[in-house]
Amino acid sequence: MMSKVGLIIKREYSARVKKRSFLLITALVPLLVAGLVFLAMWFSIQEIKQINVLVVDPGDLCHGKVFTGDETNPPAVFSFVQEDISLDDFQHNEAYKGFDLLLGIHSQVITNKGIKGFFRESITPKAEYYIKDKIELRLEEYFAMDRGISLNEYRRIRQEFNFHLASIDPDAQDMTYARWVGIVFSTLIFLFIYIYASQVTHGVLEEKTSRIVEILVSSVKPFQLMIGKIIGIGLVGLTQFAIWIVLIGLSLFLMREFVFQDILDPQVLAEAMSASGDLSGDLLTGGGSHIMKDSALIDVIYNGVPWSTLLFLFLIYFMGGYLLFGAVFAIVGAAVDSETDSHQAMLPVQLTVIFIYVIGCFVVFNPGGTTAMWLSQIPFTSPFMMLQRVAAGAVHYTELILSFVLLSLMIFVSLKGAAKVYRTGILMYGKKASWKEIFKWMRYSN
Amino acid sequence: MEVLRVENIVKQYAGHTALDDISIGTKKGEIFGLLGPNGAGKTTLIRVINQIIGPDSGQVFLDGKVIHPSDVAKIGYLPEERGLYKKMKVYDQVMYFARLKGMGKFEAKQKIDHWFEKFEITSWYNRKVEELSKGMAQKIQFIITVMHEPKLLILDEPFSGFDPINAQLIRNEILELKKNGASILLSTHNMNSVEEICDSIALIDQSKMILNGKLADVKKEFKSNTYAIQFKGMMFGFANALFADFSLEKSEQIDDERAIAYVKLLKDNKLNHLLKVAMSVVEIEAVNEVIPSMNDVFIQAVQGKNGGDDE
Repeated sequence: MMSKVGLIIKREYSARVKKRSFLLITALVPLLVAGLVFLAMWFSIQEIKQINVLVVDPGDLCHGKVFTGDETNPPAVFSFVQEDISLDDFQHNEAYKGFDLLLGIHSQVITNKGIKGFFRESITPKAEYYIKDKIELRLEEYFAMDRGISLNEYRRIRQEFNFHLASIDPDAQDMTYARWVGIVFSTLIFLFIYIYASQVTHGVLEEKTSRIVEILVSSVKPFQLMIGKIIGIGLVGLTQFAIWIVLIGLSLFLMREFVFQDILDPQVLAEAMSASGDLSGDLLTGGGSHIMKDSALIDVIYNGVPWSTLLFLFLIYFMGGYLLFGAVFAIVGAAVDSETDSHQAMLPVQLTVIFIYVIGCFVVFNPGGTTAMWLSQIPFTSPFMMLQRVAAGAVHYTELILSFVLLSLMIFVSLKGAAKVYRTGILMYGKKASWKEIFKWMRYSN
Repeated sequence: MEVLRVENIVKQYAGHTALDDISIGTKKGEIFGLLGPNGAGKTTLIRVINQIIGPDSGQVFLDGKVIHPSDVAKIGYLPEERGLYKKMKVYDQVMYFARLKGMGKFEAKQKIDHWFEKFEITSWYNRKVEELSKGMAQKIQFIITVMHEPKLLILDEPFSGFDPINAQLIRNEILELKKNGASILLSTHNMNSVEEICDSIALIDQSKMILNGKLADVKKEFKSNTYAIQFKGMMFGFANALFADFSLEKSEQIDDERAIAYVKLLKDNKLNHLLKVAMSVVEIEAVNEVIPSMNDVFIQAVQGKNGGDDE
């Protein structure tokens, strides 16, 4: 036969899962997230809108000499004219409507170093960098020749150095983007803990104000009631999370199969890399990584995130953090007497949670630092911090174990304390208990 | 044999003593009234019996054995302040509480059907509690309290919230439960219902027990040797004839020539003496000993004790 705690868990769980709002949020949020991710990924490709550059080049310094390689989809393409074009003409003449940018290269550019351009719509930094880079390169060559250096010699000098910073751990991947994934997970943990722990307060309060608790406590122990409620609500959170993961995962899979197929196809990727015409010919560097960056977001989402590790740790830290904060929120529910009071009493607890979360967002910049290390061990902050550090690859497994142990100990202590407050508080009507009283209740032996 | 035995229960809180050496016992098939002014400690005592809180000293026995957490299945408790889950369907809710009391699913279903049919409310099964009136919800709570056939029923103000018809229905159910052998602890301020259905009572005031015993015995204790004499004749003449041996407490005129006089016998005077005196001046129609109502007993006991404390 099902135990009493089991019955309570079942009731708390099914009462919430059957709610229309739960079904709605559970179904809509993944759609929304998938939609937003899709848009973000889509825009990350669409960003490569080709800029049509019209270069006024009276000195004929660049025409046919701008080295663009064989890039399949360069950020900008150049056209050259030698006659001057007035701004007014560029603006209104039908012949120039197809150009986005008018660039003037004075024949004396070598001495005055001035290049002016006018755009119709502002240009992305990436395209601007590309245009500047290509024109500069050509003009430098011209400058070198002017100084009596042969083109071949100059090109040898001008070769870019390929900086590549890597972890000493040969298995480590580039974690820059993964850190942001860490923040996303921290935010998720924060939201889940916050939303579901708040539900504990409301649930306790509902039973208290409706006096149903009077009937309940004659059948079950207050501790069973509290733990059943906390676990039941927590399972609702896990269910929701699981459904979200499945739905979001499924939509990401479908997107990969049907929408972003080309970008992720290794063959297409390899072709793009070799076609980039990198001088060094080394696939790991230079042009190859340029192409990767074009779809960096997509690449991170599909290849850069240690999903299984993060999801596993998410579950552990969600459960841990939720139990810990659930106990605190149960205390609040038991100590107050009305919904209005509860908002007031919850405020300090809520602010603490938000504060911890905000600190966590700063940790992302220095995940290996001492502050981050400590915060990822302290039980009240570890659920928010640890995932970021894990995502950034800054955590040894012994740290994880220590943090689990500390968190478990703290959960044990707070549940015990909460049980005592809960037992006294739920049968105390008509007044809001002060923190002093709450601590006094914790000391009651029975 | 006593179903419930409470022995020397003491419960202290930081600022005050909630229960000071309370002992009571209830028998099988008995309705035991637990009385007392607000804040006397009744609810605390009920919570101790329900094992919701533990006493500082003293013990509770159920069926002669020290009470154990698993005994909750043998107790049915209807608290004074009671609620239900508003959003939950009636049937699911009753089933939930039945299971919490340790009933199996099948058994619970049979009992639910039995009670809902008895109260003719099977049409409520799928309604949410928030759709029910207060009286309807009270019926559900009553069913929740009794459906697992507890040996001991603790009913705290069971009639509050019911209209007279439903209060009568519940009263009859309580009497039937008593007939079937349940021991019932009834806490109420409604002294009429105490008179009607209680066999024994205990009166708690300011954490102490000030009265305990069979209802009739307790009332006897509070008899004041007063008789109501209905007669035909002049009240003036009757009053004059009483002299110093009797005291006329009050009088009521029934019609032009008949009245009732409430006379208290002073010193060791007997009723015969009073009758002799009365017969000489009026024509006696009826004589009754005045037995105090529970209401009077309650007020006298509580005020008398408080008066004593003040001195």
